[in-house]
Amino acid sequence: MAAFCLAALCCTAQANRDSKEEQELLALERVAKLQACESKDLATLDGILDDGFLYVDPSGKHYTKREFFTFVKSADSFQYVTEAMAVRLHGNTAIVTGLYQIRIVLHGQPSLERGRFVDTWLFENGKWKGVASIDVSTQ
Amino acid sequence: MSPPSSNFRRTIAILATSRHRTLWLLMACSLGAMAFGQQSSNTETAIRALEKEWTYAQGHNDNRALDLIFDNALVYVEYGRLVSKGEYLARIKHEIPSSDEIVMDPVTVRAFADTAVVIGTYREKKLHRGQREIKRWRFIDTWIYKKNGWVLVAAASTPLR
Repeated sequence: MAAFCLAALCCTAQANRDSKEEQELLALERVAKLQACESKDLATLDGILDDGFLYVDPSGKHYTKREFFTFVKSADSFQYVTEAMAVRLHGNTAIVTGLYQIRIVLHGQPSLERGRFVDTWLFENGKWKGVASIDVSTQ
Repeated sequence: MSPPSSNFRRTIAILATSRHRTLWLLMACSLGAMAFGQQSSNTETAIRALEKEWTYAQGHNDNRALDLIFDNALVYVEYGRLVSKGEYLARIKHEIPSSDEIVMDPVTVRAFADTAVVIGTYREKKLHRGQREIKRWRFIDTWIYKKNGWVLVAAASTPLR
C-alpha cells in the first residue's frame, strides 16, 4: 500500500513538472512568435533561440539564426499568430506543434500564409532554447 | 562536420547489398549507442545511416524496421497534415513497394548531446496520371537518444517553391 502511494505521489510530481514545462514552452512560443517577431525585438529572440537555430519557411527556404534576424528586420510588418499548440516532452528535448497564420508585408508586398509548424526545443543550462523550426503550408 | 570514414562507407556498401536489413538497422542503432557521450561526428554518422535506413525501409514497406526507427510519440507532418506513428505505418503497409522514389541529397546534422537535428532536401519521383513527376522538398528531422538507441521524434517537410 505504501509503495502504491509512493508511486502515485511520484507520478503526480512528474505530471506537475511536465505541466509546468509545457506551460513554459507555450509561453516561450507566444513571446517569440506573437511578440518578438512582430515588434522586431531581436534581443528577446536572441535569448530564446540557440545560436545554431535553423528555420525553414513555407517555401522551403532555410535560414540560420543570423539570416532569420535579417529577414525579420527587413519586413515592413510581420504578424505571426498561432493556435492549437501541443507539447511533447522527451526529457531535455521538447517538440511543439501547432497551426500558424503569418501576415507579412515585405518591400510593400503583403502576403498571407497558413499552415502547421514543428519546433524543437532543448533544455540547456537551466533554459529552454529553440534549436529548429519548420513551417509547412496547408494552403 | 566530418564526413563518414572510408571504412564506414565500405561497411555501408557491403551491408546495403546484403539481405540482412534488420541486422543493419540494429548495427546503426548500436553505432548510435557507441556515439553517445563521444564526439559529435560519431552521432552524425549514426544519424546519417538511420536517415538512409528510413528511406530504404519506406521504399520496401519494411514496417518492422520503421517501427524501430520511429518513437511511439512521433510527430510527422506530411503534406501539411499531422500524422501519428500508427497512421504513418498503416499507410506504408498498404502502399505498393517503391511506387514513389525518394532520392536524398546531402544532409546537415547538428548534434546537441542526446538530440540531433537534421536539415536537408530530397527529390520525390512520383507517377501521376501516367506521368513521372519530380518534386523537391526541404525537411527538418529531430532524433533523440533513448534507452535503446536513436529514435525519430519529429519530422516535417515542405515543398521547395
